[in-house]
Parts: sequence; C-alpha cells; structure tokens
Amino acid sequence: MSQLVLQNVFKRYENKKIGRKKIVNDYAVKDLCLHCEEGEFVGILGPSGCGKTTTLRMVAGLEDITQGDIFIGDRKINNLHPKDRNIGLAFEDYALYPPMNVYDNIAFNLRAKNLAEADIKKEVMRIAPLMKVEDLLEHSPAGLSGGQKQRVNIARALVRKPKVLLLDEPLSHLDGKMRQVLRMEIKRLHKEIQCTTIIVTHDQLEAMSLADRIAIMKDGQLQQFGTPLEIYDNPVNEFVASFIGEPPMNITKVKITKTNGHLFFYFPMCDLSIAVPTKYESVLKEGMEVKMGVRPTDLFVVDMTAMGSVTQVGVFENLGDERRISIEVGEDEYLTLITTDERRYKVGEQIKLAVNEEKTHVFDIDTGNRIKPKQ
Amino acid sequence: MANIKLRNITKTFGKIKALDQVNLEIKDKEFFVLFGPAGAGKTTILKTIAGIEFPDDGHVIFNDDIVNLVEPAKRNVSMVFENYALYPHLNVFDNIASPMRSPLYKKDEEYINKQIVKVTSTMKIDHLLERLPSQLSNGQRQRVALGRSLVRDPNVFLMDEPLAHLDAKLRHHMRTELKAMQTQLDTTTIYVTHDYMEALSLGDRIAIINEGKIEQIGTGDEVYYTPKNLFVAKLVGEPEINTFKGELAEVNQKVKMKVLNQIHLFDLELDVEQELKKHHSQHVIVGIRGLNVSYSFVKKDDTQIEGSVYSFEPIGNKTILIVKIGDELIRTIAPNDLQVDIDQKIFIEFDFKNAMFFDMDTEELLVRHNQEEIIKEVL
Repeated sequence: MSQLVLQNVFKRYENKKIGRKKIVNDYAVKDLCLHCEEGEFVGILGPSGCGKTTTLRMVAGLEDITQGDIFIGDRKINNLHPKDRNIGLAFEDYALYPPMNVYDNIAFNLRAKNLAEADIKKEVMRIAPLMKVEDLLEHSPAGLSGGQKQRVNIARALVRKPKVLLLDEPLSHLDGKMRQVLRMEIKRLHKEIQCTTIIVTHDQLEAMSLADRIAIMKDGQLQQFGTPLEIYDNPVNEFVASFIGEPPMNITKVKITKTNGHLFFYFPMCDLSIAVPTKYESVLKEGMEVKMGVRPTDLFVVDMTAMGSVTQVGVFENLGDERRISIEVGEDEYLTLITTDERRYKVGEQIKLAVNEEKTHVFDIDTGNRIKPKQ
Repeated sequence: MANIKLRNITKTFGKIKALDQVNLEIKDKEFFVLFGPAGAGKTTILKTIAGIEFPDDGHVIFNDDIVNLVEPAKRNVSMVFENYALYPHLNVFDNIASPMRSPLYKKDEEYINKQIVKVTSTMKIDHLLERLPSQLSNGQRQRVALGRSLVRDPNVFLMDEPLAHLDAKLRHHMRTELKAMQTQLDTTTIYVTHDYMEALSLGDRIAIINEGKIEQIGTGDEVYYTPKNLFVAKLVGEPEINTFKGELAEVNQKVKMKVLNQIHLFDLELDVEQELKKHHSQHVIVGIRGLNVSYSFVKKDDTQIEGSVYSFEPIGNKTILIVKIGDELIRTIAPNDLQVDIDQKIFIEFDFKNAMFFDMDTEELLVRHNQEEIIKEVL
C-alpha cells in the first residue's frame, strides 16, 4: 500500500539494424507523468498500441525504463529486480500451473520465499474467501471456468501482500456475463484490501466502472488523467471525447454562421442550425469551421412551440430499454439522441431539436483540442 | 421477391441436435432477425435456407415450392458475409459487377452498366465507382457490399452477423447506417445476430433461438414487454432483468406477493391477482427490469426494502447500482453523478405494475399487468 509515481517516463524499444538499414523505433511511451495516490484504483485506458501495457511492464520491472523515474512510496525502483519491487501481477491469460491444484497455485509465491507451511496456509485461507475461491482449493486449474481461473490468478497475486497490484486486461478473455460478475468482485476486493491498483484496459466501460481515476493514452502520450465523470463531462480533446461513452458522442464538422446577431452551428449537408451557447460566443466567429460534440443524452426533442431547430427523424431505433433517433447530417454522419419518452417516432417525421448548452463541446478542426469557452 | 417457410426442420451433427423441429414463416420483404446465444443454431438455419446445409428432416419452401433439392446457386439467395469480403484490388464498379460477370450469371456489359447505375444510386454510392475498397469509409464499404448483393436481384438476403467483428462504437454507427438503408433494400432479409440491440433495432420480427429450438417469434416490443419465458426475458435488455422468487399469500381474499424475505406483503394489480389466483402453485418467479426499480437513502414506508450497496458502475450517461438484499443482488439504474459507498445502507422499491411473473418449473410467462394493452398502446 503505497503511492506510485511515474516521473517523465520514456520508453523506446531497441533500434535494430537489418543489413544496412537501421530501424529507428519511435517512443512507445513519451514523457509520462502519473501520480497514483495510496490506495487509489487507477485505470490506464487506450486503444491497442497506445503504450498502456508497456507502462505497466515498466512498473513491474519486465521492461527497462529508457528515461525517467518510477517510485513506489519513496523508493525509486528503476533498477530493482522485479521480485524486489513488491508488486502483484495478474495478466489477461491466467498462466496457472496446470499440475498443481488451486491451493498450491496460490501458495507458490510464498513457498518460493521459504515461508513455513503453517504461515502459508494462514495466508492462503485469508485471501481465498476474498476472491471467493475457498471452495475450489482442491481443484486443478483444468477443471475451472475462465472466471474462476482469473479469480485464482488474482488471489495468487494478492497473497504476496503487494504494495501495488497490477492487472493487465484481466477481464478480456471472459464472456459478457462473467465479466460483469468479476468486475463487481474486483471493485469490492479493492475496497476490502485498499491496495494501490492499476488496471490496464482497452474497454472504456471497464475503466469507467472500476477506476477512481482514469489515464487515457494515445500513441504513447497521456491525453487526460481524471475521475470518470470529469473525463466524461470535460474531455480535453476529440480523441478522449469519442473514446469515452456508449453510445459515443456525436462529433460533427460544422460552420459558424450568424443570423440576427446570433451565432449558430450550421450543418451544411442538411441545412440544420443549432444555436451556439452564449459561453462560446466570444471564442467563435462567423465563418469559422469547428467540430461540435454533444452526447446523445444531451440532445432533446422538444415541443414544436419551444425554442429549437426544426429537423426530421432519419432513423428511429426501438431498443427496449431506450429509444434512439438519428438525424442525418451528412453522408455517413448522424446526430444520435436518446429520447426521454416512450413515443415511437416515424422516419421523416418533423421534430424540434434542442441541446443542453452546458454539455456542448467544441473542438479545433486541425488539432482536435477542445476550444474552451471564456469563463 | 419471396416468402420463405421452414417446416419441421431437424438437423443433427453427429450426436448433437443442432435444429429441432424448427417452424418459421418469413413474409415477403420482411426484415427477419434470428437472435440467440452462440451455438443456438442461428447460422445453421441460415445455411439451411441458403442450401449449404441439408436438413435431416422437414421442408424448406420458397414461394410454395419445396427447394430441399435445389442447389444453392439456383435458389437465388445472396449471402452477405461478416467482413463484407470486397475484392481489395477491384474498384467499386468492378466489385459490384463481379457477380454479374461470373460464369453462372454472365450478363453483357450494357446490362451490367444499367444495373450498377440503378443500384448505386439507391445505395447513394454512385460517386464512388472509381474508388478502391481501401479508399472507402466503413459505412461506404457496407453499402458497396450490400449493393453487390442487391445487383443480382436476389430472392432473399442472408446476413450472418455482419457487424460482429466491429468494435462497439463502429457497430453502433453501422447499425444506424444499416437501419437507414433498410427501406432501400426492399428485399426479404434474414439477419443473424447475438446482439439484442441489433435484433430489436433492425427486425420487423425476431425469432429467438435456443439450443436448436425457437423460443418465441414476435416484434421487438413483444419480446421485450411480453417475453414468452425467462430465457427470452434475460436475453433482451441491459442490465439483465432482475429475477427472484415470489410467494403468493392470501389476505382477506386478496392475493399479495411476498418477496426477498420481507414481512411486508406487496399489492398486485387486479388482472395479475386474478391470473395468479388460478395458478397451481404458491411460488412464482418475479422478473423486474432495472428501470423499474427505484432507490432512496431514507425509508418512507414499508413498500421500500432495505439492502446495502454491493457495487456500482458509473458507465457514462448512467450508473448501474447493484443492491444486495439477503442473498439476492438487484440491479437498478441511477444517474451518473451518484455518490455512494460500497456496503452503504440503501432502500429500493419495486414497481410491481411493470413486473412479470413466471412459472417456477416451466419458466413460462404467466402474466404481467395490462398484458394485452401494453403492446397495442406502444404501437
């Protein structure tokens, strides 16, 4: 139980020489700074190849650090052997020892440390109920389901009483239902043991539901580090905005137009205008092209007499729990909203569209960065 | 143009019964979805219609003709594959022309030209004819693949999980695209999926398949609001429907419901009460969706049930809150800025008006409030 700090960490995989050609690798991780508090649950989230697993492996000591420092507590661990770092690791594939039963698998690390059998038993019996594997101790791994294997795997990582627990995509091999159950258990486990925990995942849902704070990475660089709600409500750029949330945020290229002294987001392909929220009036100018982002829950169908923009239903989807309207705003482009009533809309039906001004985002068309409103 | 019937189709692979007495009738121009978990037999049904699998027993009927012995190529069906399988080295025009240039359908270039103009304008891809697949967006690729199937003017489109390989975000987008194109297809379509959102969104009607048998056939609203049994109820909706045991108790000639070891007996709607009175058993399974469970942190009256927060998952636009009551976990929906702690005391309340009641043994739906009206009302 310690804080984990990454200071300006870089990783570059070794450059290779093939004949006369020299392959220069780009940095896999670039200038990464992360400060995880003691007992915090941090999710590292990003698409494949973003450097999230490389980061985890550097913390674990399985990869060298090209530049920068990593601290657990006050101790710099750059040059420590993995076994001396006091880390618990659980990978995506469970890698249990097949000839040993569950008890021996969990006890393995402790036996390697030459602990007395009585102490080992005490520890195993302490951890087993936490991961709900106490009834499986006599079983061999071959007879276990994927979910049970992952429970044993995590129990094995925990039994060493690590200062930091590292989980690398622990749920991605499991089917939907099992994933849900284990997600719940991992969340409760963390509350129980209060161990600083890092989970690496490409699944935004997993990161959102488990982590206290999420670090989103892309191309080796940290994009944003914040609580799930901060990231959901205030994404720093288009990448983060589109990566978080299901159904995804609507992000569309629009032109700023001016009518009767008011600014509008104008969708040229479908002749739709949505009023620019007053908070953006000082940073946007007529004729500018920007990307507008709004989540499907922040667009509303309002009464025809209310303020709003007239448009028509392009696609209506009835999904049981909820209903969605998509408005065609270009080739391959839609504005999707989740309706708030039970009504079944017809395709082509005229509706009036209003938007939650507080939750409208504007992104620069070239850099993708958020254009902040003037406070 | 075709309506398709399957009569008592049975198919075994070795000892495994893949299809067991399957009966289906798909209307002309209908968008029909085969929906079920992996291994249910959905794809086997599709292949049987295509003629790639031969049934052990039963008839496949196209427009009143039994086609069991008709070769796949002569059935004039068009299969759309999971990854769309466009030829990467051919441009859009040649990709769409490819089935008409095949030795089997060999058509002259003038005819091909005419057909392509027609199809590409309905699919809104007529400006892309010179492009290679690699120069197209995902949505455009989907339309080219559908256009290539459409150009042959098939009796029926068969689609086997065309969106399954996409990530969640793209899948959502492509589903919307496909739904937008539905009216332009104007051809009987059979669509296989294991994703309930695709099934509900796209299907005019949905057949729910489980272990080679059909559990229910109905519209999206029918399977969502009046699932024939527990299996169907659990398959549609996210989070999964809450189910727990209920015990009937008669008080002053009124049937009430005892659940989750509560002392309080819950009132039932009159129609539900009357139906359950006729039931042979004291015990039923109550099914109630997360949307119909509310929560609060202070107790107002006895209709609220005390529990503790087992877990909570903020997933963006909402939080899924899991409440533990005795040994049962009940899922409910909360706003995304919910502030709770694990094991905190909490009270939940069921909206029994929207509950469904199932037989303990057969797991068939017994009754729900307003069963007849609920479907009519929403249509």
